[in-house]
Amino acid sequence: MRTGKKSQVEITFNWIYLLIAGAVILLFFVGIVVKQKVVAEEQLASEVVEVMDTIFAGAGVSEKTKNFIDTSGLADYTLYFNCEIDSQGKSLSEFGIKEKGSSIQSRIEPIFSPQELKATKMVLWSLPYNFPFKVVDNLLVTSLNTKYFILNSQDKFFEEFLNAIQGFNVKDIPDLSFINPENNFQIRIIDLDGLFIKENQFVSDSLLPLEDDKVTALVFTGPNQITYYQKQGAQWKKMHPHPITIISIAKERDAAKYAAIFSANDQTYQCNMLKAFQRLQYLLEIYEKKAKEMNQYYLDNPGLGFSKDCPLYIQGPYSLEDGKETSLFIALDNLKNSLGACLIKPEFCSGLISPAQQLQQVNRDLGEKGDCLTLY
Amino acid sequence: MNPNKKAQIRLNETIAVLFIFFVLILFGIIFYYQYQKIAIKEKQEELLASRAMETTLKTLFMPELVCTKGEAQAEDNCLDVIKLNAADETFQKHLGDYYFELFSFANITVQELYPHPENIYYLYNKEKTTVLENGMILPAWSQKESTYFVVSLKNEINPAGQSQYGYGYLKVEVYS
Repeated sequence: MRTGKKSQVEITFNWIYLLIAGAVILLFFVGIVVKQKVVAEEQLASEVVEVMDTIFAGAGVSEKTKNFIDTSGLADYTLYFNCEIDSQGKSLSEFGIKEKGSSIQSRIEPIFSPQELKATKMVLWSLPYNFPFKVVDNLLVTSLNTKYFILNSQDKFFEEFLNAIQGFNVKDIPDLSFINPENNFQIRIIDLDGLFIKENQFVSDSLLPLEDDKVTALVFTGPNQITYYQKQGAQWKKMHPHPITIISIAKERDAAKYAAIFSANDQTYQCNMLKAFQRLQYLLEIYEKKAKEMNQYYLDNPGLGFSKDCPLYIQGPYSLEDGKETSLFIALDNLKNSLGACLIKPEFCSGLISPAQQLQQVNRDLGEKGDCLTLY
Repeated sequence: MNPNKKAQIRLNETIAVLFIFFVLILFGIIFYYQYQKIAIKEKQEELLASRAMETTLKTLFMPELVCTKGEAQAEDNCLDVIKLNAADETFQKHLGDYYFELFSFANITVQELYPHPENIYYLYNKEKTTVLENGMILPAWSQKESTYFVVSLKNEINPAGQSQYGYGYLKVEVYS
């Protein structure tokens, strides 16, 4: 009886021991699997972001090309893009997968895109920003489920825009009542004449069910003046109090204008444009040295018959058609001074347009009137 | 058999089983660690190669270096000799606040092959280094990846009075 009871206790104890040991081993492996899942997800996010960075780098330098990237593998993830100006007045942009830690930051490449993308196909379009020489490639990023509605206009940009963005998700409409959001992730409305969208005005019946941050508008309030609007309930609300000036001298395929259309808001637009101006500062240093080399070349080789007016165009001053006195050195200096002011206070950036046009004219004069070497 | 001895044998058995179990787990961990080590090394090599290509691509299209034709599109795979001479100083001056982010740890040079093979343009050099206590500077990189790309070199200022084209190669070395 005594021996039987002992063995019964022993068997029970063995089973309990076995169960505890089994549970501990099972927990150990469950822990490893959970940890691996988290690590794998983070690794995937980081790899995706790295691949995107490489794609962006390639697309960024492929001038004027449009790339349609299949992102069906990322259909469940939301990509985010952001750009902020730090306390030192420098731009810092960031993109990554929302709520997945890993992201890529850049102070160099300007990327103009909606704030979020969740799509099976991404569209990348690189446009060179010339001011007046090439400064940087503006990379425009969007998706095929971001719908652009452009309101009919007599503005010549209307036709140009429709021709330029063939293959994008875009539709021209006579007025806001024609908007049909379908199943798109977000909507951007472009009002070239500034007639249809105004502060506190009713949005449109078809836009009411959509989330506020998924409906935005860009309104051209004057020549090269834009204002961003966002839906707030049933009304349009300005995203910033004063219009923004598009800093550009391009006549067509204006990279700064297209960048404004594809930007999420005023903040990201200005932040990314600041990157271009920062680059312009360093480019100007190089072009200043090139101008000096050109000048020295003509001083050292006075015998070059065709170049007798070249030192004049370079050193000046000579008069432009509008009576302004200028030269290559003067134009470069003016642009440099205006840029200095712009980098300190972005409100002064509109002052860049005139010196850039002047430099463009001097460069033309060097080539066409003087038959000289051109700066760019 | 003495019940105490029997229990002792069982206890020894249990200890042996547990020992073998943990040895197996240890083997698994060592194997996994080694595999991960190799995988990480391969990934690093892959990333370095990718960075080398990316840096070459960026350099080839840099507005600071490329040949221009007024307002028309820049000439492909062509570097302007005047800009090459000027860029070095600008890159060096703004290395910390701008160009390091573009090139990171790298050495970028352009070797002219024709017409002046003695010309080498040093554009950017930022090697990963470590400073010893005695002030000696030693390289601190573990891997280096080099890429070469043939480019044409446009020299607009020459006594002949017209643009002269030569050729050479762009050498990009990146460090990890």
